[in-house]
Amino acid sequence: MTQHTSGSGKMVLVLTLIAALSGAILAAWDSYTAPKITYHREQALLVAISQVLPAHDSTRTVVRNGQTFYEAFAGDSLVGVGFQALGNGFQGQIRMMLGMTPDLESITGLEILEQVETPGLGTKIVHDPSQRSEPEWFTNQFNGLLPRPELTVIKNATPTHSNEIQAITGATISSQAVVRILNQQIESARQAFRTGSGVVHG
Amino acid sequence: MAKKQISIWQEIVKGLWRENPVLATLLGLCPTLAVTNTAVNGLAMGLATSFVLLSSSLFISILRHFIPHQVRIASYIVIIAAFVTVADRFLAGFFPVISQSLGPYVPLIVVNCLILGRQEAFSSKNKIGRSLLDGIGMGLGFSLVLIALGMVRELLGSGSIFGITLLGEWFEPWMVMILPPGAFLTLGFFIAIANWINDRRATA
Amino acid sequence: MNLFLIFISAAVVNNFVLSYFLGICPFVGVSRKVSSAVSMGLAVIFVMAISSVFTWLIYHLILVPFHMEILEYVAFILVIASLVQLVEMFIRKVSKPLYDTLGIYLPLITTNCAILGLALFSVLREYNFIESLVFGLGAGAGFTLALVIMAGIREELDMAPVPKYFQGAAITMIVAGALALAFMGFAGLISI
Repeated sequence: MTQHTSGSGKMVLVLTLIAALSGAILAAWDSYTAPKITYHREQALLVAISQVLPAHDSTRTVVRNGQTFYEAFAGDSLVGVGFQALGNGFQGQIRMMLGMTPDLESITGLEILEQVETPGLGTKIVHDPSQRSEPEWFTNQFNGLLPRPELTVIKNATPTHSNEIQAITGATISSQAVVRILNQQIESARQAFRTGSGVVHG
Repeated sequence: MAKKQISIWQEIVKGLWRENPVLATLLGLCPTLAVTNTAVNGLAMGLATSFVLLSSSLFISILRHFIPHQVRIASYIVIIAAFVTVADRFLAGFFPVISQSLGPYVPLIVVNCLILGRQEAFSSKNKIGRSLLDGIGMGLGFSLVLIALGMVRELLGSGSIFGITLLGEWFEPWMVMILPPGAFLTLGFFIAIANWINDRRATA
Repeated sequence: MNLFLIFISAAVVNNFVLSYFLGICPFVGVSRKVSSAVSMGLAVIFVMAISSVFTWLIYHLILVPFHMEILEYVAFILVIASLVQLVEMFIRKVSKPLYDTLGIYLPLITTNCAILGLALFSVLREYNFIESLVFGLGAGAGFTLALVIMAGIREELDMAPVPKYFQGAAITMIVAGALALAFMGFAGLISI
């Protein structure tokens, strides 16, 4: 193998050229893939909306006091309101879609859109492989709950009240994080939804 | 280059067993262990790594006479990182679910020793055709081990393979297999089995 | 409290080596002797602390304002590679004994996925500057802890009758599996 001996000028030139070329290719690739990534994110959002809200035949997006709500209609009557809840979990951000009845008193469904919890433990908030018949049992527990005054987490016991959530064994922090985020966001959503006049989008 | 060229066929096959990146040379263990909790993840990671390996091998082989010796590693790393970004955005754009479950392990392909190792040991010294064949063989060998690991761990840990449930309700999922310790244990047994097969071949 | 949580989480609960599989190459390669494991660990803590600071600055002060997030990976790996080089030159100038202990491990660190992983996780978890630094220190401490424990076990293992086909890498993996299992016990440590 021949050893290339070359001046520092050539070294800098080649490195710069390679870096510039990579940068250009990536910029082009970015403009091609970015719309697709955005599209998928919106699709995931739409799927989540339709899953957390009760049976409906149309939805519309309304911004009230700066917060985005997804309102579901069956015929002319409002049957449910969905909104995103964001906050910090054990490892990082948890992003959820929460569906509630129009009076924001009762939960109709919960979907977790994004999370980076500990694999195998915290990730059970989305999918718990040890519960084969119902891997999504954690989010399913929220269906029909009444967050009044607010949701609470209990450990190693079966919930008896309509505002109680059973924590996942080994992932108490993640379970508590989900409930804490929801409590905060339900409160702020109630204020935004009830007081704000809406601007309809799409 | 005094060494006699091995045949085209052997150039590909060596990556499958004799110089298998995972079982023989223990390269690229980080993704091997991290994402093989399901067979699908293993397959996706294998393909993404193979793509980056092949494209960087091609490029570096083409550019091998232009890159000054002193900055070769820096140049390789930039080229590899660029292709990893391409693969990462491709997955995010077309396979969002897989992209989510692989998470930060796709960008970590940049520091997969397998890729940098092949560039340094092979593509920088060989013709384009040979480098591609080497890349195909190594990529294939890497992917096959990842898929096999993924299948074993998914079967024992969730009772299914490629998401299809194979073991019925009687089977109590062996949770630890899809958790980090299961990755180490399974790979340990894979390496031991590979040793055993090699030994039997040598004595036969 | 929050910073403490980040540190403990990175060091033991979600140990970089044993639960994220980052830095496996040095974990297998440099874990034969406790003394070299300690040196390698110190070098990694050092580089992790510095690189977590620099990659944070590059990402938040250059890439984000100019909408060049797509160059994240290229920029990070270049920063890490040049940092390692600079640290090596600096240590060689400043302290000969320190260079003799850490020197040979530094080039290995460039391709240590733990360093890049650290930068990627910091971005993903949206840590601020101080949190990134603490996260880097915690991850480095966790790496050192895993490496030193492993080296201790492997020194004992040299005398143990390991089955023929398990000798070498295979038994290292099995031991790492047992360690990972033990470290999972830390998950209960901070669940209030």
